[in-house]
Amino acid sequence: MGIDFGVVAAVFRKDMRQYLGNPTGYVFLTLFIATTAAAAFLQDGFFARNLADLAELNAMMPAILMFFVPAITMGAWAEERRGGTDELLLTMPVRDVEVVLGKYLGVLGMYAISLAFSLSNVGVLMYLGDPDTGLMLSTYLGYLMMGALFCAIGLVASMLTKNATVAFILGALGCAGLVFAGSQPWASGLLGAALIGGAVALVGFALTNKPSAAGVGGLIGGLVATFAWLAAGRGSAPSGESTDETVGADALRDENAFAEFFDALSVTDHFASFGEGVVRLGDVLYFAGGIVVLLYLASFLLGRRHW
Amino acid sequence: MSEKESPYRTPSERPVTIRADRLSKIYGHFAALHEVSFEVRKGTVAAFLGPNGAGKSTTMKILTGFSSPTSGRAEVLGLDPSDEDKRIELARRLGYLPESGPLYRDMTPRESLEFVAKLRKLGDVDRRIRDVVSRCAIGEVLHKPIDKLSKGFRQRVGMAQALLHDPEVLILDEPTSGLDPLQIREVRALIRELGQDKTILLSTHILQEVEAVADDVVFVYNGKIVFTGTKDELAEGGSLDERFYALTEGSDAPKKGAA
Repeated sequence: MGIDFGVVAAVFRKDMRQYLGNPTGYVFLTLFIATTAAAAFLQDGFFARNLADLAELNAMMPAILMFFVPAITMGAWAEERRGGTDELLLTMPVRDVEVVLGKYLGVLGMYAISLAFSLSNVGVLMYLGDPDTGLMLSTYLGYLMMGALFCAIGLVASMLTKNATVAFILGALGCAGLVFAGSQPWASGLLGAALIGGAVALVGFALTNKPSAAGVGGLIGGLVATFAWLAAGRGSAPSGESTDETVGADALRDENAFAEFFDALSVTDHFASFGEGVVRLGDVLYFAGGIVVLLYLASFLLGRRHW
Repeated sequence: MSEKESPYRTPSERPVTIRADRLSKIYGHFAALHEVSFEVRKGTVAAFLGPNGAGKSTTMKILTGFSSPTSGRAEVLGLDPSDEDKRIELARRLGYLPESGPLYRDMTPRESLEFVAKLRKLGDVDRRIRDVVSRCAIGEVLHKPIDKLSKGFRQRVGMAQALLHDPEVLILDEPTSGLDPLQIREVRALIRELGQDKTILLSTHILQEVEAVADDVVFVYNGKIVFTGTKDELAEGGSLDERFYALTEGSDAPKKGAA
């Protein structure tokens, strides 16, 4: 077994050259720099607060990345399938895992380059004031981790379809689920239902080895989870059990145990402390764990061709 | 799996290089392949003949380990391609040209060959590339983007990639499809030349191709084998054309040999 990193590197280099070898890559880079700069400085709040930090950008970054990263990743596997080169690649003496890792590092590399260029924003801060180095480091580490998680989501989305546009939409939806979970109860609920459905589908497939079982299982799991979510909302509010701890204005919020449980997956919450200069182990584990799970899912999806 | 199961009427002393043993592939309720069995012996050029949609590409995807059969077993060079470790060992000794010769369009042929060399961890890359470039006659386009090449050149770049590691076995899915008559003649000449020291399985729906390059024929129709034997056996009792139509019209039961 064991992973051959020579193969991983070859796939990575091929993809990097592909991204940087055509004008689209540079259009992306320019757009990214412009968007992040606008989000950081073209806001009243930045000048009103008179602090040399990226708080304004931090608030916008999840929303920017949930569109920007899927745009990088959408073609990663969809294009290989559309052109038939997946068959070329996967009949070489290479393992699926190596291809997945190479592909992932390729999109991550492109994202990292974009992020490096957006350091110009820190340059602007240094020109205007005296930003805290530690804070800048932790903020950029946060951007990197959030983007790395989104890259993994986008790669999985790209494995689901031959159509890059569909892959973009799926990727953006997946990222949006994590961005809005925590702030929007409906997003937490949807995310939870989708996760449970997906997990049941995987278990169904693992037990029976039949794709139809995975499909039916996923559908049933998703429906049951949706039902649980809706029932939780109706049940918990009058019982008062979960509202005991919340008083006043919070009582107005739609209390839902199911959705609250999945609030914990909010990418915005896990990113927040990076933006305040605090690197917490729990947050790092959230991002790293998410990436590992998603890459495992990606190699599982690559194996679908054997069905 | 013993020698007496060999579908060939003239038993050969040569070992079996490619063996399909009751391969079935079922998508939902559709059986793309139904108990397909055949053998290709070392050093022969076998044509995998059949109309479009007969199951040729499906079989080749299984033989190269890109896909897996629903039931049955494939073996190439004694290795089962549905086992990942075996498939990787096999891939080092097998050259494969997938259907319609997919390539990375934004690379040049040179870059493409270098990429394959890296994936295959080949040494002596320059010599290997020079060798396949002259064999496949792609020297003049070596540094042009593949996107800009004619179909004929693209197909030959695909062949060059499949040959880069000098494999013992070649599996070519419709190597001449979409080429003009001159290009077809060149590719066939190349296949004949390669066939002198390699085992080759190539798929085609063109009878002249069988005539031109093949020793043996495996005839597949509607996912079933309808004939296996030598080219001359297929032509027995009529022309290849007549046999082709006879075998594809209302015949569901496998026929072995001729007459």
